[in-house]
This record gives sequence, C-alpha cells and structure tokens, in this order.
Amino acid sequence: MDAKLKETILNPIFKGNPITVLVLGICSSLAVTVTMKGALVMALSVIVVTGISSLILSLLRQTIPGRVRIIVQLVVVAMMVILVDQLLKSFEATYAIDKQLSVYIGLIITNCIVMGRIEAFALGNKPWPSFLDGVANGAGYGLILIIVAFFRELLGSGTLFGFDILNRFGYVPNNLVILPPFALILLGCIVWVQRSIQKDLQEK
Amino acid sequence: MNTNNNVYTVVYTTVIVVVVAAILAFVSQSLKSRQDANEKAETIAQMLTSAKYGTKAELDKLSNSEKLEKYAQEISEAYTIGLDGEKIEELPLDKVYSPSELKRQNYNIKGGANKTAEPALPVFKFKNGSVVVPVYGAGLWGPIWGYIAFEGGTSTIKGAYFDHESETAGLGAKIKDDPSFQAEFEGERADFTSASVFEIVKGGAPKDAEGKSVVDNKIDAITGATMTSQGLDAAINTWLGAYSKHLSANAAECSGKCCEGNEEGHECQKEHNCQEEE
Repeated sequence: MDAKLKETILNPIFKGNPITVLVLGICSSLAVTVTMKGALVMALSVIVVTGISSLILSLLRQTIPGRVRIIVQLVVVAMMVILVDQLLKSFEATYAIDKQLSVYIGLIITNCIVMGRIEAFALGNKPWPSFLDGVANGAGYGLILIIVAFFRELLGSGTLFGFDILNRFGYVPNNLVILPPFALILLGCIVWVQRSIQKDLQEK
Repeated sequence: MNTNNNVYTVVYTTVIVVVVAAILAFVSQSLKSRQDANEKAETIAQMLTSAKYGTKAELDKLSNSEKLEKYAQEISEAYTIGLDGEKIEELPLDKVYSPSELKRQNYNIKGGANKTAEPALPVFKFKNGSVVVPVYGAGLWGPIWGYIAFEGGTSTIKGAYFDHESETAGLGAKIKDDPSFQAEFEGERADFTSASVFEIVKGGAPKDAEGKSVVDNKIDAITGATMTSQGLDAAINTWLGAYSKHLSANAAECSGKCCEGNEEGHECQKEHNCQEEE
C-alpha cells in the first residue's frame, strides 16, 4: 500500500479526527453516547454511510453538473441513510437500538462529516481512495463516540454493553454522566489530551 | 462533455432522483414484513407494560416470539366498538393495532375529509383484569400514541405507556422515557361524565398535604414540553372521549348498577364484562 493511501486511512483516525480536530458531528456525539451499544451501532451506521456515499459520488464525479452537485450529494446521502435505517428496523437485534437512537439515525444526513468529506475529497479523487477516506472518517468519528460512551455507560449506569461492571461493587450511578453536558466535558478532555500530544495543533 | 447545460442538468437530476426512489421503494417493500413483525412485538410489549405484566425494560429482554407467546397467554378478549359504545365485532386474539391503523381510526373519530369509515375502536381485555385501550394524536414534531389500562370494570387507571416518533429527546420524549411520568397515571380516575375526560395540567395538578396527586382526572404536565403535553392531553381526551360510553357503561355494570337504571335497554353482560374481584 503506498504512503498516500495509508495517510488517507490513518489521518482521520487521530491527526485529523473529524470530531476532535475538525469539530464536526458534535451534536450526535452528545446524544448517542449514553450506552456502548448505541454508540457502536451509530458508529457503524456512519461508517457505512460515509464510505458508500463517497464511493458512489466519486464514481459519478465526472458526470455531476456543477450547479446542482450539492443536491445530487444530498440525494445519494439521504438514500444511504434511509437504507441503513430500514435495515436496522428489519432485524430483531437492532430494532430496539434503532428505536433508542430514534431521530439520530435520520440525522446522519445532516452530519457535516458526510457532506464535508464528499465535497472535500470524493469529488476530486478516484473511487477507491474516496471509499477509504469515507470509511476512515466514519471510523475516526466512531472511535471518539466509543471512548465517550465507555466512560458514560461505566460511570453513568455502572454497566458496559448492559453487563454489570461497577454495579457489582456497590457503585452508585452518577446521574450527571447520563446527561449530555457531561459528554461535552469528556470531549473537551479528549481534545485536551490530543493537543498536548500533538503540539502542532496548539494555537499560539 | 458539457455538464453545465440546462437540459443535461434537468435530465441528470431527474434520472438520479427516479433511480434512488426506485431503489428505496424496492427495499422498503421487501423489508416490510420483517419490520411489521418487529413493530407488532413492540406494540405487544407496550400493551403488556400498560397492563402491568412487567416494566418495559423487563419485557424488552424477551425475544419477539416470547413476547407473542406471553401475549397469547394473557389476552382474554379483543373486540372493536363504535362511538355509541356497542360492540361491533370480535377481533382475532393475535390482532394488534399498529400506529398506522390507530392513525386511520384517529381520522375516523375526528371526522372531516380524512374520514374513511365509521370508527371501529379496539378494546383489549387481559386475564389480570386490565382493559387496555389505545390513544393516538399529534405531539410537537410527529405522532404520539400509547396504551392506557383500566382496572377491569372501573374508571381507575391501572397503568399507561406512551410512545412517540420524534419528540425532543430529554423533553417531550419523557412521555416514553420517564417511568415517573407514566406512573403518575396510576390510580387516577378518568371522568367519563365530563367533557374533558382527563387533563394534563400545566403548572401542576392538585396535590394533597403530603404532596401526592389527589385521586382525580388530573396529572402534572412535563416541564419544558408544553406542546407535547398538550398533544398528549388532546390525544387522551379524543380517544377516551370516544370510548367513554363503552367504558362508563362497563364501570356501571360492575359496580352492581348494571340492570337498574339501564334505560337504553342494553343487555346486561355482567359476567361477560366484569372481573371477579370487582
């Protein structure tokens, strides 16, 4: 694998993470990180949507009329989101999670990461790198989601994936952790850690 | 190729939209039966929750087939009634009303251009004495619906469960997510003689000296969710209003007044409608 492709995949995971560096997709990362299950399903959904939308639009990129390109992008992204939502509703295992995530699956359409990567990358690159870029950005988003959900479920409910962990030791769940503001505090901490490792991100 | 000319742009967008619509229509049709099965199991869990066969969280742990099995064990009777309170027909015991069917009945109750037929409203009776009726209406962003269980043959509410499509998380969504809101309904009494059968009061329902809600037909609205609370109030009043003849007749029969004062010549169905304990 050549260096450029590797960069495409690795950059969004840490150095150019969509949530902590580009600060996109904050709204949903506050809303869906109460449980690990929810965060995992959301992360996988976003990976599928960004990956496949980037692939389709990269294949079409020579033919899309410049004046309506945003509309064409929206149609494709909306189609992918509806497909993911329909599939989640169809399986017994994911139906309850789909209900729990309710509007946030549908709101992937408005997640800036999806449109941002299509506009900035997929429309100017070949299909394979575009697909990888989409998947990697979805994964970067998902990684942060899962880190946040790990702390929120562990401290807020004393469980992980619904299994008792801290609860076994008489832990009293902290209600603040369940509320969205705590996700923002956690995100702030993650940004802090990342910027102290990666000095070039620090603003003078 | 000149991708900027007008004809190309129009043809291109049309083709894209038609292709996407065709894909979505095909997927939606082919997944429909699976989604309906999931929806039915969810509806059953909601009805069982309102009838106090466990909390929603407990029932959610069951698989779809276990939910159906439990429902088949516990349901004793299901039938539809008209606005006059008279029974129209028996329903098969595995029949439940999905939100889209409730929506159609909601139009039928309200009348107007969307009315397609005379209302045929479902009543579900369970072996623990609960009489479960659905409610349906408009919240702030989308439909809200739910199930209210009455103690067999009385106007006392045994339990309630509400669901919604897209109310605001943390505010309006509390009608579903906050068990303490649903618990407020328990023990309250619907007033079938009044124009407002049940009220969700902004600013607080009357409380007794200990701060408990007095037994009447009023409960507290949800703070920060005025529109959802009003929507739920309207939904409950529309539907319980439509059921009032049936449910109040049912209540009268069971308090022993069945055959006296029954001037409309209803057939007395005491054993049929009432539970032993009353």
